[in-house]
Amino acid sequence: MRPREIRVVERLQPAPDCVELVCEFPEDEGPQSGQFYMLSVGDGRDTYLPRPFSFYRVFSPRRLSFLFRVVGPGTRFLAGLRPRDRLQAMGPLGRGFPLPDGPERAVLVAGGVGVPPLWSLARSLLGLGCEVTALLGARTRSAVLGRPELEALGIQVLTATDDGSMGHRGPVTELLGGIEADGLYACGPEGMLRAVRDIAAARPLPRTYLALEAAMACGYGICLGCAVERAQPDPALGAYGTYARVCREGPVFRWDEVRI
Amino acid sequence: MEMQARVGRLLFKNPVLTASGTFGYGREAAELYDLSLLGGVMVKGVSRDPWPGNGPIRIARIPGGMLNAIGLQNPGLRHFLEVDLPFLRHYDTQVIVNVVGHDEAGFVDVVRGVHGQPGVAGIELNISCPNVADGLLFSQDPDRAGRLVGLVRQETSLPLIVKLSPNVTDPVEIGAACQAAGADALSAINTVIGMAIDVERRRPVIGIGSAGISGPALKPVALRIVYDLARKLDIPVIGIGGIESGRDALEYLMAGARAVAVGTAVFRDPLAPPRIVAELARELAAQGFAAVDEAWAAANPEARRRQSR
Repeated sequence: MRPREIRVVERLQPAPDCVELVCEFPEDEGPQSGQFYMLSVGDGRDTYLPRPFSFYRVFSPRRLSFLFRVVGPGTRFLAGLRPRDRLQAMGPLGRGFPLPDGPERAVLVAGGVGVPPLWSLARSLLGLGCEVTALLGARTRSAVLGRPELEALGIQVLTATDDGSMGHRGPVTELLGGIEADGLYACGPEGMLRAVRDIAAARPLPRTYLALEAAMACGYGICLGCAVERAQPDPALGAYGTYARVCREGPVFRWDEVRI
Repeated sequence: MEMQARVGRLLFKNPVLTASGTFGYGREAAELYDLSLLGGVMVKGVSRDPWPGNGPIRIARIPGGMLNAIGLQNPGLRHFLEVDLPFLRHYDTQVIVNVVGHDEAGFVDVVRGVHGQPGVAGIELNISCPNVADGLLFSQDPDRAGRLVGLVRQETSLPLIVKLSPNVTDPVEIGAACQAAGADALSAINTVIGMAIDVERRRPVIGIGSAGISGPALKPVALRIVYDLARKLDIPVIGIGGIESGRDALEYLMAGARAVAVGTAVFRDPLAPPRIVAELARELAAQGFAAVDEAWAAANPEARRRQSR
């Protein structure tokens, strides 16, 4: 982890309100899937704190992208960046997805803008010889992100939308019903993560991992802002162990490590 | 540039410290730079027993800063003495232990535990956290503040700094009570109580409702309080609140602070503290000062007159 300046080299718009910024880093990066960067999102007046973003696609050791939906002043600032613009990035941060020891049937579940950490994960899993399926959920067809990019990796992609405008009509987690899996990797809204957790508990499917999001100020462990309740606190820590930091102990947790 | 800074009995190699609560116990920052570059480190609040902190959400973004309601989550005195303090001893910087408690006995027990430990330069009493139920108990009443300082004073000869709250009518009154009870210095300020509302969810953003404002938005509030403390009291002051640059630090020195502590800036720029040390040296030179001491209260003639009496 270290702070440095990165440069925008390409700006893509995969959906009307979504932007993918391809950025050039000063040195080779080797982040794990699920790790994230704190990006500066403005001049500090309206948007003081940096914001956490999982990296999305990896084009070369120095070239990573970030995918986001424009929802507020921070993401509006990022969406306004153009090639050659510079921004501060601190990372890579946190604990990413643990990879299996060998080939497995891996299922990735993304809700909305939860797809970024799963793209590079899919690539790593394919490299291990895994059979990879991605399930993408969103409110509606135009909000389904990452489908062509994941299909380009050569994996099976199924979709679900709340309004039925693309794929299955209903929650993306309903697609899990008919799918055999050894490992389950999820990133998305809290409701979706809870549903994945419940499936992990019911099957049971111990190799289920959830990438969490939380409001955080620093991203590197000192602000203690991104607390999430631990399911089994370490007794040695006493009351201090009630909460884990999403930024350091996470953002990826095994399904039974946290209460969400 | 002579960067040495004296705060009462405390001598710092430069006047830039890291503020309590935004630096943990130094371990994360030490991955990024040598902590020996810092004048001092004010560690995250230490309580007698481990404290869990507040439930989520603890952080909100606001223009010019942030809101936090961490609730003093900390691993407790024993962990501090066995794990965190030994780590900090590796660095050539002054370690100030920030002490928190739910009641007088809680404060006293931590001070007793810290007193006599090698590597502790001083104690900062945190009587001003707005994010725990009894956090402001001692900071809003001069009698209670003075009584607590007096009790702690009996337990230790270490330099004693009291961190003041801006959430009072007159911080000078509280500061005067702390001085009378034996405090060596004041640090000003802790966060200002504030709130943000989540319009969609129709509730405050922060889980417990209110929270502390920090960041650049806090600087004018803090500067005014530092200025008033310096011109009305004889006790040295450490300025805290929205310090982002060497120039901000110089403003505090000129207002009457003997040293400063950098807090929320480390979230936006993890390298802010050593950067501010370097910037301050340049700013001092640009203003024609040869030493930190020369800039002290340069903008506060009443404070200078008081000192020369």
